[in-house]
Amino acid sequence: MRFKNFMTMALAVMAFVFGVSACGSDDNDEPEVAVAAQVAGSYTGNEIFVVDNEESSNETKTYVFAKATDTAVDLTIPEVGMGMMTIPSFAVKGIALTKEGSIIKGKLASYEGTAKGADGTDKAYTVTDLTALFSGNTVVVTFTMKYGRMPFPFVESFTGTRK
Amino acid sequence: MTRFLITGMALAIPAVCLTAQTAIRDSVALEPVVVTASHSPKALKDAPVVTRLITLHDIKITDATNIQDLLTQEIPGLEFGFAMSQETSLNMSGFGGNAVLFLVDGERMAGETMDNVDYNRMALDNVGRIEIVKGASSALYGSNAVGGVVNIISRENLEPWTANINTRYNTFGHEWRHGAGFSFNTTKWNSQTSFQHTTLDPVDLPKAHSSEEVALELMKKAQGLPYDESVLNDDSNLSRLYGQKTYNVKERLTWRATDQLTLIGRGSYFFRTSERDTHDYHFNAYSAGLKSRYAWNADRHLELSYAYDQYDKASFMPDGTRTHDHDYTNRQHVVHALYSHSLGEISLLLGADYLHDHLATYQFLAGTIHSQHNIDGYAQFDWNITERLNVVGSVRYDYFSASSQKAFTGRLAVVYKLPLFTLRANYANGFRAPTLKEMYMHYDMGNMGYMLIGNPDLEPEKSNNFNIAVERQNRIRNSGIIDGRYSFTLMGYCNIFDKRITTIDGGMYDGMESAIYSNEDGVNVWGVDLSMAHYFDWGLTLKLNYSWMHQTGNVWFSQFNQPRTHSMTWRIGYDHRFSRHYALDAALSGRSQGKPQSGRTDVDQGYTIWKLMLQHHLWRSIHLNTAVDNIFNYKPKAYYYCSPLTTGTSFSVGVTVEIKN
Repeated sequence: MRFKNFMTMALAVMAFVFGVSACGSDDNDEPEVAVAAQVAGSYTGNEIFVVDNEESSNETKTYVFAKATDTAVDLTIPEVGMGMMTIPSFAVKGIALTKEGSIIKGKLASYEGTAKGADGTDKAYTVTDLTALFSGNTVVVTFTMKYGRMPFPFVESFTGTRK
Repeated sequence: MTRFLITGMALAIPAVCLTAQTAIRDSVALEPVVVTASHSPKALKDAPVVTRLITLHDIKITDATNIQDLLTQEIPGLEFGFAMSQETSLNMSGFGGNAVLFLVDGERMAGETMDNVDYNRMALDNVGRIEIVKGASSALYGSNAVGGVVNIISRENLEPWTANINTRYNTFGHEWRHGAGFSFNTTKWNSQTSFQHTTLDPVDLPKAHSSEEVALELMKKAQGLPYDESVLNDDSNLSRLYGQKTYNVKERLTWRATDQLTLIGRGSYFFRTSERDTHDYHFNAYSAGLKSRYAWNADRHLELSYAYDQYDKASFMPDGTRTHDHDYTNRQHVVHALYSHSLGEISLLLGADYLHDHLATYQFLAGTIHSQHNIDGYAQFDWNITERLNVVGSVRYDYFSASSQKAFTGRLAVVYKLPLFTLRANYANGFRAPTLKEMYMHYDMGNMGYMLIGNPDLEPEKSNNFNIAVERQNRIRNSGIIDGRYSFTLMGYCNIFDKRITTIDGGMYDGMESAIYSNEDGVNVWGVDLSMAHYFDWGLTLKLNYSWMHQTGNVWFSQFNQPRTHSMTWRIGYDHRFSRHYALDAALSGRSQGKPQSGRTDVDQGYTIWKLMLQHHLWRSIHLNTAVDNIFNYKPKAYYYCSPLTTGTSFSVGVTVEIKN
C-alpha cells in the first residue's frame, strides 16, 4: 500500500515536471544561442517604401547586418533617392535576435539616430517597430521611419538574399 | 407583446404627467436670438437665412473641450481629419477649412496650419452659444465665407458674481482638462475671466497588421509558399497621434459708461505644444480688442472697434533649443465701424472695415516678409414689407492691396411666413481672396527638393449660393405627453464654386520638381439638410439632423478628407430635477457617416459612433459628468487622414464646482 502510494506520488511529480517542461517548450522562444554570427552579412534584394500611400521600389539594395553581440545585430540601410531628395544611409543598432524553429527573428521597438542629409546638415531619424526574419539565406525586414521634418513616415519592407 | 407595450405605455403616462414641467433644461424656454445671419440681433425664427444654433445646454451636454469635439457631435456633413504634419483639417459639406469662416464674437482669427485655423484656440469654457450659417455670406463677412460661417459667441453671466473650477479625465490619450472661471456683474461693470489647461498623451494607433505579420507573409512570398496578399496592403497614414498640451486664458471686461455708451475690452492668450518624434512645435496666440457701442436710442446705434490677433509657430529641440527653421508669425490689425438705423419697417446697416495682414513664415524666401491691406464697405437693408414678408439685401466691396484684387458681393434673402410654415429663399455670393502664403510661398517641402511656389497673380475664389428652406416651429399645449416645443427645417442648396485655388505641376524649378498655386475650375455642391427636434415639457429631447450632399463639376478628392453623401447626428436626451438637491441630465447621442463620395474603398466605408452622457447636478453647485464614447467600440481597420479619431470605447469623468451669488 505504501509502495503504491509512493509510485503514485512519483508519477504525479514526473507528470508535473514533464508537463511544466512541455508548456515551457511550447510557449516560449528557444533558449538564446549565438545567432548573430549566423545572420551577419550583406543581403541584396528589393526594397519597397510607402510614403503617404505612394509606393516606390528599389530592386538592388544591399542591407548589411553586423554582429553586435552574440544575440544582437546592427543594421546599415543604404541611401535612397537622388539629388536633394536623397535619404542618406543610416544605422539601426541593437536588434535583438531570437530563434524560432528554422527562423531567426530580430525585433526592435524604437531607435533614434542622426544622419548627414543631402544638404550637409545632420538630420534626426527615428526607426520604429522593426522586424527582421532570417530563414536560410533569405531576410525580410519591415519597419517605419521618420526622417528629419518630413511630415510623412516611411513604411519600409526589404526582401533580400545573402550571397 | 402588444399587450406588454400598451401596459407599459399606460403605466408610463401617469408617471410622465406627475413629472411634467420639471425639466431642468432652460435653453429652449426663451425665444433664442441670433446675430450671424444679418449682423444684428434677430429672433431665430425671423433670421433671413437658416441658422443652426448650438445652445449652452447643447455645449454642456456634449462635454466637448473645443469646437472640433462639439461640431463633430452636432453637425452632420462635418468631419475633422488630419492634414500633413498631423494638423487638423476640416471638411464641411465639401468645403475645406479655408472656405469656412470661423469667428469668435464676430472677429476672425489670425494664423493657419495647413489651410485651417487652430481649432484648439476655440475652447468652450466661456462660450454661450454657437451659430452656424451654411453657404456663402461674403456680403457681410468678406473673404473666406464661401462654404459657411461659424460664429462662437461668448457667455455673459449676469449674476452678481460666479466662480467655478472644473476638471475632467478621458481615457483616450489619458486626456486631462482643468478649468476655472470667475465673473462679476454690477450696474456699470461686467467681467468674465476663464482659464483652461489640457494635456493629451501620445496615442499609438493600431495597425491592421503588425510589422511581424507583414514580415512573415513576405517571407512566405520570398520562399514561394502561399501567402495572404491582404496582409501586405496596409496603407495607413497614421501610426501615432502626437501628444499635446494647451493653455488658454481669456478676459472680457464691459463698462456701461452711460445709458448710451458701452465699452468692451478683451484679451486672451493661448499656448499649445505638440510633441513630435524629434522635436516639439510651440504655438502662441495673443488677442486683444476694444469695442465701443453708442446707442442714441433703441433704433439707432454705432459700433467702433479695434481688434488685434497674433498667431506664432516655432520648432524646438527636446533640450529646449529653438531651431528657427519653422518660425511663423501672422499679425492682424482690424478696425470696424458699424452703423445701424431702424426706420419703422426698414432697418439699415452700414459698415466698413480695415484689415492689415502681416505674415512672416519659413515658407517664404529667406528674409522676406509680406503684408497687405484689406479695405471694405458694405450696406444691408432689412425691409418688413408686410407682417408676413421680409426682404434682406446686402452689398459689399472689398479691396486687397497685395493682389490689387477687388470683390463685389451681394445677397438677397426673402422670408415669407405662411400660417403653418415659414419659407426662406436666399441668393448669396461668396469669395476667398488669395492668402499671402498662396501668393508668395517659396518652400522646399521638408528639405526634400520639392518646391512649393506662390503665385502673385492668383484671383479670388468665387461662389454663387442658392438655398431654399421650409421651416416650422411651434408649441404643443394641452395634449398630455407630447406637450412641448418642436421644430422642423428642410433646406435645399446649391453652391457653385469657381476659380478654386490649388497647386498644379510647376515643372522644374532650380533643379527641383515644383508645384505652383493656380486658379482651377471649380465644383458645384448640391445638398439637402434636414433638422427635427422635439423638446417635451417633461424633460425628453429628441433631435435628428440629416445631411445629403453631392458634388459635380471639377471634383477632386483630397486624401485628407473624404466628403460623404449621407451623414446624420441625433440625440435622445432626458433631464429631470428629482429634488432640490439632485437633478439628472442624460443624453444618448450618435453620429453616422456614409460611404465617401470618392468611391475610395480602402478608407472607412461609413461608420456609426454612439455616446452616452450622464450629468448629475448635486446641490445646484456640483456637477458630476460621466461619459462613455464610442459605446459599441468601433475601430477603423486602418488609420487614414480622414478616419474617425477613435481607438475604441473610451470613458470620461469630470466634476465642476460652481458657486453663484
